[in-house]
Amino acid sequence: MSIIETNQLVKVFPGGIRAVDGVDFEVKAGEIYGFLGPNGAGKTTTIKMLNTLIQPTSGTAMVAGFDVVKSPAEVRKRIGYVAQDIGVDEYATGRENLTLYGHFYRLDGPTIKQRVKEIFELVDLTGYEDKRVSTYSGGMRKRLDIAMGLIHRPEVMFLDEPTAGLDPQTRIHVWDHIENLAKAMGVTIFLTTHYMEEADHLADRIAIIDLGKIIATGTPDELKRSIGGDVVTLSPRETGAEECQEFIRRTQSALSGKPFVLGTQATDSELAVYVNKGESAAPRIMRLLASEGIEVESLSVSRPSLDDVFLKFTGRTIRAQEGTRTTYAQMKRKRDRR
Amino acid sequence: MNLLSDIRYQVLRHLRTLFRIRVWIFISLIQPIIWLVLFTQVFKSLSGLPGLGTASYLQFFAPGVVVMTVLFGSAWAGMGMLQDIDMGILSKMLATPVTRLSIITSRVIASMVMLVIQALIIFTIAVIMGVNIATGVPGVLFSIILICLLGLGFAAFSNGLALLFKRPEPLMGVINFVALPTVFLSSAMMPSQLLPGWLDTVRHFNPVDYAVVGVRDLVLTGYVWSDLWRSMLVLAAWATAGITFGTLMFRARAE
Repeated sequence: MSIIETNQLVKVFPGGIRAVDGVDFEVKAGEIYGFLGPNGAGKTTTIKMLNTLIQPTSGTAMVAGFDVVKSPAEVRKRIGYVAQDIGVDEYATGRENLTLYGHFYRLDGPTIKQRVKEIFELVDLTGYEDKRVSTYSGGMRKRLDIAMGLIHRPEVMFLDEPTAGLDPQTRIHVWDHIENLAKAMGVTIFLTTHYMEEADHLADRIAIIDLGKIIATGTPDELKRSIGGDVVTLSPRETGAEECQEFIRRTQSALSGKPFVLGTQATDSELAVYVNKGESAAPRIMRLLASEGIEVESLSVSRPSLDDVFLKFTGRTIRAQEGTRTTYAQMKRKRDRR
Repeated sequence: MNLLSDIRYQVLRHLRTLFRIRVWIFISLIQPIIWLVLFTQVFKSLSGLPGLGTASYLQFFAPGVVVMTVLFGSAWAGMGMLQDIDMGILSKMLATPVTRLSIITSRVIASMVMLVIQALIIFTIAVIMGVNIATGVPGVLFSIILICLLGLGFAAFSNGLALLFKRPEPLMGVINFVALPTVFLSSAMMPSQLLPGWLDTVRHFNPVDYAVVGVRDLVLTGYVWSDLWRSMLVLAAWATAGITFGTLMFRARAE
């Protein structure tokens, strides 16, 4: 049974920006569904249409059996929403934050009291109920933030970038809590993220989204298998834009038609070569390029990641768009220059 | 019923927040006292001036201080809404079944509660300092109705502007631009007979002046019904305008 279903969902913002451009997908009850894509891909806009915060320009979306445009009030009763910003009141205690939301969901006093106890246990905050949120750490606030979306036992939880801005250790901790509550409460989770590891680790199924369109869907394994075997990543010795283009063009023509090469995909500064067996393909590639006089700075062999899937469909990497991608070779060159 | 329950719990939240900020409480209580003492010292030599309607400037000025405190307090009411927008609290709330109207209404009501408390404190201090209120306790309650209408309008406008701008800088700019001039463009500090002609005309377009005139009548003279009716009507219109603006902005800008 599908608990979220969209049909050609579109959001055009004033100024003509098509943030979400005809999105179709289906989320089954009880699964963790991940929306993976770079910043600005349309993930948050999609969530805000599904949780009734903004109206779609066209298309339809059903959440927990109700149309988000025709019956927003019914949808709101059945969903929990955890935004990217931690929307907790710092001047209130954890209990006060949760209790206010209990009242919004029309729960009575004793029920709220009971649920606060249960939920604080679930997110591992027992003992902090009556402490002010201003004394909580970042990870504790995020867990309280998640807890506030659970007080009414929703059918669907929307988590928008649940670990953005958290340090790696806290991130893993929050992952554990998300997995726990999915199991403990049987709640369907729809989460967006630009961290491949997060989608890979948490999601049962993933939709990869870019520029407002879904470019691939499947389980993490299915998506990675779609690449073929392994990925050999090559980067050129010369790093100027023209030299990189020259390197990519020459390498692609040297490799074209070779039976062990399944395909290639270039970024601005690297070339990904998809092969059946990375271990045996790597020396062959090196030999081939040496004979053509193409100088390679570094070569790496890896199992396909979700970023490779993204790269295959878009010609860009998610990491590069976050501005954090630095290859080992680039780091080495920087160090050598000093 | 849902609306009333939502308003109740949110008003409690806003008041709790204010009472937990100790600096805020301290300043809110001290500021009107400083105004009462400081201004009456500065303008001491004006006592006995014809047109004051009383021998002491303190007696004349106390209603002005009440109105100024209400004005400044409610004009800043939008900052709390801004904080909620900025922290993501508002959008999180909007994804719940909470009644939409309760969000802005509860903020305005919480502002009113604080203003009534502040006004009562100022009246008390003024009486201790020797101010004689002509209409007594009923007059104080009447005054509170007038200044609540004034504050309601300013608080609702301020919340509306917070939703419109969604940034503190323009909101602070507008408040600073509006607050002091509206005091000086009224008879809060000077009796209207002593104001230059153009200013005496301008003050008739200023809701602050209607509150000042009404409260001053009640403190200095008694029930001057011609003034009081006019003040009530104008301030009610002002409050309605503010609430309309605030609600429209909420509909258009909250997400």
